[in-house]
Amino acid sequence: MNPVIQLNCVSKRFGKVQALDDVTLQIQPGTVCAVLGANGAGKSTAIRLLLGFESPDRGGIEVLGMNPHTHALEIRSRVGYVSDAPPLYEWMTVQEIGWFAAGFYPTGYQAEYDKLTKRFDLDPSQKIKGLSKGTRAKVALSLAMAHRPPLLIMDEPTSGLDPLVRREFLESMIDVAAEGRSVLLSSHQVGEVERVADDVIVLMNGKVIAHERLEDLKQSVTEVALSLPTVNTSPPAIPGNAVAHVAYGHEHVWLVRDLDAGRLADLCRAQELPQAIVRKPSLEEILLTLLRQNRNQHAAVMATPAALMAAKSTAHGQK
Amino acid sequence: MICQIDTNNGIPIYEQICRQVKFAIANGSLLVGEHVPSVRDMATRAAVNVNTVARAYRDLQAEGVLISIRGTGLAISADALEKCRRSRLNMIGERLRYILREAMQNGVTSDEIHSLVRSEWDALQQESPS
Repeated sequence: MNPVIQLNCVSKRFGKVQALDDVTLQIQPGTVCAVLGANGAGKSTAIRLLLGFESPDRGGIEVLGMNPHTHALEIRSRVGYVSDAPPLYEWMTVQEIGWFAAGFYPTGYQAEYDKLTKRFDLDPSQKIKGLSKGTRAKVALSLAMAHRPPLLIMDEPTSGLDPLVRREFLESMIDVAAEGRSVLLSSHQVGEVERVADDVIVLMNGKVIAHERLEDLKQSVTEVALSLPTVNTSPPAIPGNAVAHVAYGHEHVWLVRDLDAGRLADLCRAQELPQAIVRKPSLEEILLTLLRQNRNQHAAVMATPAALMAAKSTAHGQK
Repeated sequence: MICQIDTNNGIPIYEQICRQVKFAIANGSLLVGEHVPSVRDMATRAAVNVNTVARAYRDLQAEGVLISIRGTGLAISADALEKCRRSRLNMIGERLRYILREAMQNGVTSDEIHSLVRSEWDALQQESPS
């Protein structure tokens, strides 16, 4: 099957800020794909490019097989889009805005919209102006889903919403994916992403630093904590691919991919070190470590060699 | 059947679903012959990815806890109760090992753990006299 979203070496710059830097990725149909990253990492820029609100400086983009630059309207009429602050006509009622939007879509939109608003327990006669943030978000979600889009794009849809509304959003995403449709979700709610995502993409300073199946990422990453006898004891070489290493005094913590736990235990025994504490970190912990590590590397690239050495010794030395 | 998922306890979500289904069978909240919720229902109820639930159900089928009833979905197999009661101790044992490892790594002695288990157990019994 063709990917629903395809980015090929896409770059976008706003003035001095490189919002996206040579991003290549594909999103397969029927998956929930979550985009994670700090504020300003390029998540919203990527979404705006997909919907044709902006054009890339370089690279090719396809959404549902169409180019957002030339087919922005077609794409926007096919996909569902929910932003964190959805603009709605304040003077319309919940019912009216559904009727209004139905004019832009094929038949069946209104019926589906009414079904969704009913499920979300919305009062059809209420004016948009008087709605709470959570209720507004539910109206926006109903509007975005009433044409049963093959692709639902959500840009931090649940930021600032109460747990009940967030749960309803999650359930809607699960429903969409259960029908073989796709969801692209940008979110800071890592716990939620962990529940619903098939794939995760981690953006950092406009670059993709990770893109893989959530299950694989969680399966392969292990946290190793080791308390060395003194600050000057050099830590053992970790058997596996150490993605990150932080030292707090004589205590060391690694994030390791494909750890050989048996060999680590042997190593510690051979060097007469205490046994390492090995555990599976949550997605949030993995994400934090990836972001910290990349920020340090990013800063190091920017710095002179002398500054690089200093940065290294602070990162690996005393707290 | 209610599934409580915790994304921070280090246990994969599909594993948590498997365990909770088994516990529910072992303590009688799911009965032999009864259907489990469909993959989609369970996913929505527990607010987790559909594929995660599908994987949990596949594992439970492979273990013979669930059997597929043609056209209607998955049901609790005839010998599931026996199997789940047996694996209940195993699952508790695993959780216990995790806690004991933490205790050992922090220098807690065997005697301290034994008396702790005793006093916690007594406290729980006081709480819910059955």
